[in-house]
Amino acid sequence: MSQEIDETLLRSIIKDVIGEMKNTDTPISFNDSGNSAATATQAAPSSSQTSDIKPVDWFKHVGVAKPGLSKDEVVIAVAPAFAEVLTRTMTKLPHKDVLRQVIAGIEEEGLKARVVKVYRTSDVSFCSVDADQLSGSGISVAIQSKGTAIIHQKDQEPLSNLELFPQAPVLTLDTYRAIGKNAAQYAKGMSPNPVPTVNDQMARVQYQALSALMHIQETKQVVPGKPSDEIQVSFN
Amino acid sequence: MSEVDSLVNKIMSQLKDENSSASSSTSTSTPTNSDSELGRNDYPLFEKHPDKVKSPTGKSLHDITLDNVVDGTVGPKDLRITPDTLRMQGQIAASAGRVAIQKNFQRAAELTQIPDDRLLQLYNALRPYRSSKQELLDMSSELRDKYNAPVCANWFAEAAENYEKNKKLKGDN
Amino acid sequence: MKRQKRFEKLEKRPVHLDGFVKEWDDEGLVALEGKNDPKPSIKLENGEITELDGKKKEDFDLIDKYIAEYGLNLDNAEMAMNTDSLKIAHMLVDPNVSRSEIIKYTTAITPAKAEEVISKLNFGEMIVAVQKMRPRRTPATQCHITNTLDNPVEIAADAAEAALRGFPEQETTTAIARYAPMNAISIMVGSQTGRPGVITQCSVEESEELSLGMRGFTAYAETISVYGTDRVFTDGDDTPWSKGFLASCYASRGLKMRFTSGAGSEVMMGYTEGKSMLYLEARCIFITKASGVQGLQNGGVSCIGIPGAVPGGIREVLGENLMCMMMDIECASGCDQAFSHSDIRRTERMIGQFIAGTDYISSGYAAEENRDNTFAGSNMDVLDYDDYCAMERDLAVNGGILPIHEEDAIKIRNKAAKAIQAVFDGLGLPAITDEEVEAATYASNSDDMPKRDMVQDMKAAQDLMDRGITVSDIIKALHDHGFNDVAQAVLALAQQKVCGDYLQTSAIFDKNWHCISAIDNPNDYQGPGTGYRLWEDKDTWDKIKDIPWAMDPQHMDF
Repeated sequence: MSQEIDETLLRSIIKDVIGEMKNTDTPISFNDSGNSAATATQAAPSSSQTSDIKPVDWFKHVGVAKPGLSKDEVVIAVAPAFAEVLTRTMTKLPHKDVLRQVIAGIEEEGLKARVVKVYRTSDVSFCSVDADQLSGSGISVAIQSKGTAIIHQKDQEPLSNLELFPQAPVLTLDTYRAIGKNAAQYAKGMSPNPVPTVNDQMARVQYQALSALMHIQETKQVVPGKPSDEIQVSFN
Repeated sequence: MSEVDSLVNKIMSQLKDENSSASSSTSTSTPTNSDSELGRNDYPLFEKHPDKVKSPTGKSLHDITLDNVVDGTVGPKDLRITPDTLRMQGQIAASAGRVAIQKNFQRAAELTQIPDDRLLQLYNALRPYRSSKQELLDMSSELRDKYNAPVCANWFAEAAENYEKNKKLKGDN
Repeated sequence: MKRQKRFEKLEKRPVHLDGFVKEWDDEGLVALEGKNDPKPSIKLENGEITELDGKKKEDFDLIDKYIAEYGLNLDNAEMAMNTDSLKIAHMLVDPNVSRSEIIKYTTAITPAKAEEVISKLNFGEMIVAVQKMRPRRTPATQCHITNTLDNPVEIAADAAEAALRGFPEQETTTAIARYAPMNAISIMVGSQTGRPGVITQCSVEESEELSLGMRGFTAYAETISVYGTDRVFTDGDDTPWSKGFLASCYASRGLKMRFTSGAGSEVMMGYTEGKSMLYLEARCIFITKASGVQGLQNGGVSCIGIPGAVPGGIREVLGENLMCMMMDIECASGCDQAFSHSDIRRTERMIGQFIAGTDYISSGYAAEENRDNTFAGSNMDVLDYDDYCAMERDLAVNGGILPIHEEDAIKIRNKAAKAIQAVFDGLGLPAITDEEVEAATYASNSDDMPKRDMVQDMKAAQDLMDRGITVSDIIKALHDHGFNDVAQAVLALAQQKVCGDYLQTSAIFDKNWHCISAIDNPNDYQGPGTGYRLWEDKDTWDKIKDIPWAMDPQHMDF
């Protein structure tokens, strides 16, 4: 039985890879600053501001992200401005710490975490959809620069979710760790208790404008058609 | 394992639904040629014209009773609106000056014939980046030929054209 | 700097916790009349629109195309577009011009023209215009029923109490998406226990929500979102064509529905094309009209913090409600999201809609404590009930909420909790204990409830969908456990879906399932002595007058 699944999975992965290759006939190198004209040809809305990007050494781009084959991985997608344009969430948690915690949560369950950076969208749901297509387990976590997070599964409609954490201001580093842990448990086929979150009805009031401003920064980094990059993180 | 089981179950229940509603839809096509156009004074139909309203299986409103539901004489298939009723409500909306609502109800009247699961698939197929142009055109034909839904068929054809121009087809993202 | 003591005190006031930002036209952070908003224009060739608000046909995006194809009454377009916007604004306020006369103009203008008309009005004029333009004569309001644990017993009890308090429409959503079918059933059973005739919805992902409706678990849908720019529409995972089709899907199952939009969503989602909030909202309203959808929830809605942060933002919000009504569309006018830390500003937020009266003054008054509101908090909640009723009584305004007596609330909450206990038993869902029934009867928030096994509940929710449970099974379960009156009410709702009366504009039901809509209860306001007046609606006025905590001067015991 399980072999049959793997066969269809494999077939769909192969199809994806072929599709992916078609899409990337003219790969866009985002790291090469001399090549910024190429990004502009992608009819990027308003202003894809390459100049805003400040590469950091703990967050290395290692080429276009490929679909994973191993069932024991969870893919974490970060939104386009994450770590390199914006560096902290709405409540000023460093992106590095946020990612570290999600990965730790996944590893705690004995699974592997893989990080990708999404460019096609800044929407947290669609980031997670890009990532669950890449994820060998079909489970993904997506995180926006402002801190909003989601756990998504491959067969769900894009705007549905396993767990959604829409109120970034109430998320702590402990919550991010728990998100990673739960994502890993879903990947193992378990049904964990959802991560408990605080419902702070005033958070939105206080942070909505700030949230919008951060999201404007995020969407400026969107590059339509650009596939996600594989990211190597090091926390030393 | 359980993944496979639930998948199999889902597909089987889909097939079952398609069969059952296909058989019920054939038995319903008895248009009750409502002689004259209805207007706002005919509203609400529930109070003014309960006799004109039928369930898809031809039952009248006063057949829909607790006893009949409990003993199974009336089931989920009976608790649905018919194309005729939607047409009457469309006439009432138009008589109150709301022609766009009437058009919506015209599309809806066509969609009453489509099984739930297929309808959800059709909706999802119209969402951005889900379908190729040909797939949308095929659905357009399906609507026209299989479900006798010309207005909705046109809707899909129109979407196919516009999605191509405005880059909302599969692979455009 | 040495601090000035008064400024230090002022800074500690709750209003200082709210977000305020300066205008930024190019990112859409401007309420109305943004510097990049197009000038109104239309060109017709052979009955086809070839230019819309300064944009040529070949440059149309999907939204422009959709509006050009379906959104305007072309018969009157030339006449209406040639009428000075100021004149149309005058008509909106002038009691001598009837609603139906105005509709001829307002349904034949373009989005930019509609924005121009609204921009002529000050806040007071907008209130006057809303009073005349709302489609249904009798105002009403809507509530949220949620809790952070998705506890079904508490949902049922809160729904029953809210029904007794007069909400004709109730909306739930989930803390965890997988709970959806259970929440939908709980709110339906609870509300029909509280007052037959209430209609309920469960706001979840679009196709999932439709499938709940198809099974008869919900009676209407509202959070079918539309957006004012093409890119945001796509991020919302739809196109005008898919949303229009979805609208027809709902009608084909006899389900009422309205769209949702509102200022600030395009800013929040990052693509405004540099247009003002009111212009983008105008496009949403025209998409709704084009789809033949009877209603719209708008007025900032979940992004209220954005218009709330810019100058004139709350004027814009009432303006967009008015624009919806002048397009002859049912308006559920927002006031449904936590807006301010300041009680004064919270009142400001709803005062225009409250005084004028709309189809649903709030499209989500929190009928639970705000901390349990999984729509992220509403502008007002259960703990504001008595203030709200006092305001209705003071101003002789029907705000849609009735004061009730404690013993009646206890009784109805208990009955609803028992009814949902029966349904869970009948459907084979994880048992609801007597202890839970007792707790829900007296609870104010989910901390007062015994904890349930959430994993089991979620599995059961999925399982009931897989088993193909429908409303017939719920009716049977209620009947088998002796809740015949509730079974009858749930059945009556199913019957109404066969009949379709409540698909008409602004429709709600009274307790006898009489449908009240813009068809048989059209707004006939034309100045003093006309339209809805609370004191002429004697039964409701008597209930609003009768707040339980008022002294009876003739029967004092000193």
